[in-house]
Amino acid sequence: MTIHAKIARGSAELAILALLEEQPLYGFEIAKRIEERSGGSLRFTMASLYPMLYELEKRGHVKAQWAANPAGRDRRYYSLTAGGKRQVAPLRREWKAFFLALDQLTGLSHA
Amino acid sequence: MHDWKRIVRGNLGSLLLSDREGKEIVAELAEHLEELYEDLRADGFPEPEAFEQCLSQLSEVRLAARDPERAKRREGAMNYRSKTLWLPGLVTLTLASVFLMVLQRFALLQPRIYWVDDGALVLHLPWLMLLPLCGAAGAYLSRRAGGRSLNCLVAGIFPAFVMLGVFCLILPVGVFIEHNRYILQHPLYFGLALLNWTVLPGAGLLLGAVPAWGGRSHVR
Repeated sequence: MTIHAKIARGSAELAILALLEEQPLYGFEIAKRIEERSGGSLRFTMASLYPMLYELEKRGHVKAQWAANPAGRDRRYYSLTAGGKRQVAPLRREWKAFFLALDQLTGLSHA
Repeated sequence: MHDWKRIVRGNLGSLLLSDREGKEIVAELAEHLEELYEDLRADGFPEPEAFEQCLSQLSEVRLAARDPERAKRREGAMNYRSKTLWLPGLVTLTLASVFLMVLQRFALLQPRIYWVDDGALVLHLPWLMLLPLCGAAGAYLSRRAGGRSLNCLVAGIFPAFVMLGVFCLILPVGVFIEHNRYILQHPLYFGLALLNWTVLPGAGLLLGAVPAWGGRSHVR
């Protein structure tokens, strides 16, 4: 089941930061991994992915630099900054609290 | 082999910001599309369909970039105009009206009337002398909100524009709807009324607005 774009967009920040916590990745790789790891439920198109990446870069949570990928092509790799690393844990807690609240409200876990 | 950079530039050209930023974004999106295209082809999509999917992603980017930009511009324009024109203008109008009302009701202001042929020049001198204060207040508020010179000026003499609008409405309504020919037969009467309620108050307001008009903007 594909998650509605508006809900997916809200989760983009955590999804991207959590992936970059593991290793630096470039845009296409980020989109691909999110899709694979969510079993195809979360899909980020260019229109939703790059504005979020640029926003995170502007806020100083990620930094980007051009480097060649294993195939020798130049790619813009994103990695977490120290500030970005500090954002991941509170964001996770926030989402957890959100899901708990939503569960209590709507009985999500029984769906 | 598709020239993705050219395709991206062709689609997003006008939306890209500075040269350096724009070039980087074009390069990054072009790399993304190239990889997406190869991925789709590897998944067995025929060439035209893979290309079409890439283009549809690009048009989504264009729509997403354009809508918030438009909305922001519209919102910005509204806020700016409200802050620097409408609100200070309404303050000027309110002050001028309240002063006239107070002077008439509590200070029992009697206008000086000068008869000129078949018209009368009605002067509320104390009120006219207070108008520069109103004009200064409006122009100052506009300037403080970051208003350009023209906005400060219009905000300062706003009541004169309102009265001019009223007169512009009275003339056609009087003549064409109420069939009142008096205005046409006695243009001096109408001209003097215009002078009483628009030109003279406008001059008074302008006196107050000019100093603030020439000042420096507080916010840009």
